[in-house]
Amino acid sequence: MAPPLSLLDTWVQENNELVNKCKQKGEQDAVSRDCSQPPLKWFSFEFHKLLRKIQGIPPNADHTQLELAVVFNAGVCSAAQSQVSEAELFLAQATERVLQMTGGDAGASDPLVRWRTVLNSVGDTALHPSVLYLLCLQWAIWLATCQLKTIQEFQEMSALFDTLCGGIGDGSVSEARPKSSNIPLLVMDPRRLIELLQICTSIALGAERLNEGRSSEALSSLQAASALPAPRALVAYTHLLSGSCLTHMRRPQMALQCYRKALETDSRCVCALYQSMLIYRQLGNTQAEIQALRLLHSTLMLPSAIEPALGSTHLLSPSLLLRSQSLSSLLSVPSALTVLHSLALKCVLYGRVSEGVEHYLDLLAVVHSEDQQGLHTEDATLPKLPELYLEAGAALLMARRPADCLALCNEVNSTTLELLPEKVVLEEPEERREAETRDMEGENSLAMVLWTAAAYLLQGHCHSHLKDWKQAVTHYTRCINLLVKVRFKKRDFQPQIPGADMDVKRGKDLCVLERLKGLSLAGRGICFIQIDKLKEALRDLQLGLQTFPECVGAGLWCGEVLWRLRRRREAAACWEKTWSLTTQSLDKSLPVYLQEPQSGPLLDSTELRHRIQELGPT
Amino acid sequence: VMAADCAVETWTEFGFLGTSVTPKVRFGTDVFICTGSDEVYVFSTHERRLKASDWFSEHLTNCPLIYTFIKYLSLNRTFHFCSSQSAPPESSSSPTELKISSEFLVIEADGVSSLLLVGSVLLTLCQTDSSWLMTLYKTPEQTQSSSYEVLGSFSLPLVSAVVQDDTESKGGRRRSSVLICVHSGDTAPSTVPHGHFRLEPVLFKLLFGVEAALAKSPVIVCGLPDGRLCFLPLRLPGSRLRVLHSLEQPVVFVGASVVMETGPGHAQCLVAVGGQGRVVLIKTEKGGPEDGSSLAGFTEVCVSGPVECGCVDHNCLYYSTEAALHSPTSLNVCRVVALAEPTCNTAGQVQLLGLSVRGKLQRISLPVRRKEAGLSKQVGRSVRDLLSAIGDVCERASVLKTAIKSKNQILKHLNQVVNISFLLTATANTEDHLPMKEKPIRCHAMTSWSRLLQKDSLNLACVLENSSLYVLERGWTLSITVVPLCCSSTAGEESSSTNFLFPFQHLHPGETLEVSLPIAAAGDSSFPLTVNCSLIFSLSSLLGEEGAASCPGWQSNISLPLNTLTVDWLHALHLNNPTARHKMVTFQSSSITTDPIQAFISSRQIRRSRGADRGGESWLLSESSGGVKMGHQGDKVAVSSSVVHAHGPNGATVKLTAKENTEKDERLTAAEVQVESSSVAAVCGLHHAVLMLTLSELTSCSRLHLCQQIQQSQISGAFGVGMTTGQTSPSLLNVYQELRQNPLLII
Repeated sequence: MAPPLSLLDTWVQENNELVNKCKQKGEQDAVSRDCSQPPLKWFSFEFHKLLRKIQGIPPNADHTQLELAVVFNAGVCSAAQSQVSEAELFLAQATERVLQMTGGDAGASDPLVRWRTVLNSVGDTALHPSVLYLLCLQWAIWLATCQLKTIQEFQEMSALFDTLCGGIGDGSVSEARPKSSNIPLLVMDPRRLIELLQICTSIALGAERLNEGRSSEALSSLQAASALPAPRALVAYTHLLSGSCLTHMRRPQMALQCYRKALETDSRCVCALYQSMLIYRQLGNTQAEIQALRLLHSTLMLPSAIEPALGSTHLLSPSLLLRSQSLSSLLSVPSALTVLHSLALKCVLYGRVSEGVEHYLDLLAVVHSEDQQGLHTEDATLPKLPELYLEAGAALLMARRPADCLALCNEVNSTTLELLPEKVVLEEPEERREAETRDMEGENSLAMVLWTAAAYLLQGHCHSHLKDWKQAVTHYTRCINLLVKVRFKKRDFQPQIPGADMDVKRGKDLCVLERLKGLSLAGRGICFIQIDKLKEALRDLQLGLQTFPECVGAGLWCGEVLWRLRRRREAAACWEKTWSLTTQSLDKSLPVYLQEPQSGPLLDSTELRHRIQELGPT
Repeated sequence: VMAADCAVETWTEFGFLGTSVTPKVRFGTDVFICTGSDEVYVFSTHERRLKASDWFSEHLTNCPLIYTFIKYLSLNRTFHFCSSQSAPPESSSSPTELKISSEFLVIEADGVSSLLLVGSVLLTLCQTDSSWLMTLYKTPEQTQSSSYEVLGSFSLPLVSAVVQDDTESKGGRRRSSVLICVHSGDTAPSTVPHGHFRLEPVLFKLLFGVEAALAKSPVIVCGLPDGRLCFLPLRLPGSRLRVLHSLEQPVVFVGASVVMETGPGHAQCLVAVGGQGRVVLIKTEKGGPEDGSSLAGFTEVCVSGPVECGCVDHNCLYYSTEAALHSPTSLNVCRVVALAEPTCNTAGQVQLLGLSVRGKLQRISLPVRRKEAGLSKQVGRSVRDLLSAIGDVCERASVLKTAIKSKNQILKHLNQVVNISFLLTATANTEDHLPMKEKPIRCHAMTSWSRLLQKDSLNLACVLENSSLYVLERGWTLSITVVPLCCSSTAGEESSSTNFLFPFQHLHPGETLEVSLPIAAAGDSSFPLTVNCSLIFSLSSLLGEEGAASCPGWQSNISLPLNTLTVDWLHALHLNNPTARHKMVTFQSSSITTDPIQAFISSRQIRRSRGADRGGESWLLSESSGGVKMGHQGDKVAVSSSVVHAHGPNGATVKLTAKENTEKDERLTAAEVQVESSSVAAVCGLHHAVLMLTLSELTSCSRLHLCQQIQQSQISGAFGVGMTTGQTSPSLLNVYQELRQNPLLII
């Protein structure tokens, strides 16, 4: 009997040496990224080699404990490299051999049935814990491959693992007993693995239920899971998902509480920040939203944000186990650049112009930096670069920095200059064309015309702000000249479905075009008033009002011209009509550079009312 | 036409090429040659020799160009550095090696096909199972850590790899991808590193978009082996790899050049060259009068491929095919596989550095381009260069000439063959209607007995006569098949046909070819024999063995039947003549043969009918009908009587007596031929032969007045001949009796 025993001993020794090396590597990896250690691939290979040696002889009760330990080690290493099928093969072989030894029926192909058979055949023998470890590995594989249904069906699992963790699981195999050489070690503590699996399963299930709309069900299980012992990042996830459930259940305040808890648990949980920001936006709490955006951006810019928050253990990591689509969509966060843009825009729209300008300039600086950091994202929500320039320009003008705005607009104009077409056709409805161009991703000439026109418009505003009327008129004229190149062509779509829906959809491009036309005509008209060309002014202002009737400046200045032309009744009517319009300070649906300028020459409404009063009733 | 020859100076020879990867050459102060294996050679241009290995550690740190180059090699493989320790390359000792330890390994990546350094960003392009993957790394100059941090990666799905497989199978040289970086002309500095180009701003915007121009982003252009030309604006949020164009053949080279105009420093044109010779020029084009904006115009030009490598300078594209280097006329430099960027020396001469397929590192100095296109003086060109160039051209020209000549020859030959085939098949088709018309190419034969080693044998001297207008040239073979006539009727016997082949070289019109073949030995009595003559032409003689074998659908031989001769008992008669041998001539007219005896019979009749009787004694000397001469010289004495004594081929003694009978009517001439022999077989055979002859004579004289008895006799005679091999039998006796009772009667 001596030779087989010594053989067993050498195998155990070999296994233990490998396990110790592997653990060492794990510790070293945590400290420094030293590549001198053999890669995981090597361990996987070595364990597999050892396993093949052991499985070279028929199943033997003396060897089985060692064999199952090596199967576990090899399987964990394979799974850690995402080679799930290989790990599953190890498990299938191992269960078959156990059944051969115990004389169980090996016929079942359904994994659930097979595992139940194996557990029954092993009974309460010394092999029971070993088989349970392998079942743990199987659970991990099911989780990694998103087979949540199978996990749920295997009801008895949790009970079994409770006994493993509680009763026998006092580390009898790997830890507690004095390290006598003939006890095979495991690369991963099974109790840690079970803890990890339990919380990861809860998270994955929660995400799945949330996705299916079963929010309250998900919420209760997630809240239960948050009490489990687990890494902070995973606990934070349970809070985060609870918050998402509450959001779905229309309880934003409670959701915010959950997000706060998630952030308190793990400060790197950027998703919680993002979700909070979305709730603030939904609630209309702009200041809080801006605050959240600012926090989110600075968190994203931290170097740690790039590293996965979950990667701690070098073997089966949570990120490996949490792979479901529904979860990743719940956890997705826009790129730092997009967040920065939202922040800048919000600041400009909600009165924090100087702050917004700074953010815009930061944004442009990132684009122009040699440093490639953060540019390469699959984020399509960021507007096109010329639009960013124009937005930044508009923000600069609002911040009374017309020179900087002029410079930015010049950039845009000089870029598009040689590419402008002589004629461009805008077709309606434009859905189809948009789809086409989006596919091509090339700049279509219409977009180019609109960008350039907007740049001229902003330049006109700037010159007008600087009271350089001549230059202002020149730029407004350029804008108008450019815009008349766009010919509007109505496609023959069914006239019987006009509806409000159609009206909203009615071309963003057309809307922008008319806005640009109205604003540039109004701007030129106002300039003409300043240089006492009243007839031209009246013509431009009236044309401007035709294309863009809601333009307050044009309405008021039109009245002013009429007044000066001694058509006072008409002037009064014009003013009254303008005041009657519901004045929105800024239209959020349109780009910021298409808003009415707040910087040009202004008319005092109270003074105008005085004039009307003086005029007396008709 | 400008003379496009150039001076070639061979710097060094390696003689080791033929690796599976395209070699690369970089030209700095030193030349770096990467042969695609694990080796890099460094050649000093000043010292004109391969440099020592300590170069490596000295220069690695401060030369980004080389850095990229070396790093390319050090990706995922051990790196050997070779040099020939200060010895001249001719006597190079074994190269010293410098192993690059793993600390030099910067990126672990599989299948990197090309890389490029743009500022502090290192780009690699590799092919994975399903896509092309471009990965951006931040080089450690910028970051504090020593590792290469991945900045991002872009992928482009693979398309069907048809083009690729094609090139991979061909020659086994793996095509790598091409990576270049294009800057907008108004943003980039005036000097750009290797692999970078400055492009005219409008074209830049047209090709890569306003956004890229606005962001002042360099654009990476890559040419893939599947023919796609892709681009990626490097510094643009959310940019993707997009396809610009497809060449539909492996991209060998991408560059930018002024080409058309002499612009202010930046290239007006983007050039891509495909492996099969397709060149795409991309430049700005003005739109039509309606749409005044500019457009990017793609012009495709084809040069003769396959193109091995290419490079551009200010205004010229240089490319090398398997045969020669061009720009765009041939430069008469052979098979350059790698080119370095051209440089201009002080004299304004363009110098290229090429690595030829045989491992020669050559500096190629192009002639100075002159404004006037007249005869340039070509002052500095050495005579040796000229001679070698002439030799090169001469060699190529002579090879081409020979090929054309031999093709023409074959065509001419084939023309003759086809003519002859038509001639022979045409006469064969009309034979039914004009039975007497002879083929222009035919055979006639003459039998003779010869005695060799105490053994008599009957020989057939067969003469092929070419009376057509065509030459029978090399490749023709005369085929003669001898078959016993009775053979087909008695199937049980083994086939006794014999085939003789006589290949011949030339047979001009009017010439004859005589061949001699044994047809029977003494004692052999399987007469009559049919002699089939045909001409065979073999294509393999025309195309060579492998040429014919390469067309499996072809029958490599054409067989044209000529005519059929019959050798019967009369021809096989062995006259009892002590002085001379009896010779007989077979006539080929409708397969009926005559001998002097039959000739006598027929001529007698004809003369009779013409009223020109010269007496019976001249019977055996007379000429036969049809004007065919008899081979009967020297036998006058033997056959001067009306009685012929002879031996049959079976040894039986035969006596032939011919008698003229003009009894009742002057106009009705009768000739009586009597055959006497102790052998039934001889009598039957001769009877048959005489009958056949008479029949043929009558046919040819249009005097077909045969009485019924003759017909009967003929049939029974034929029967008797068929049984000659057998011994005396009742049936034979019957035949004999019948013969006796029914003497021949020809009216």
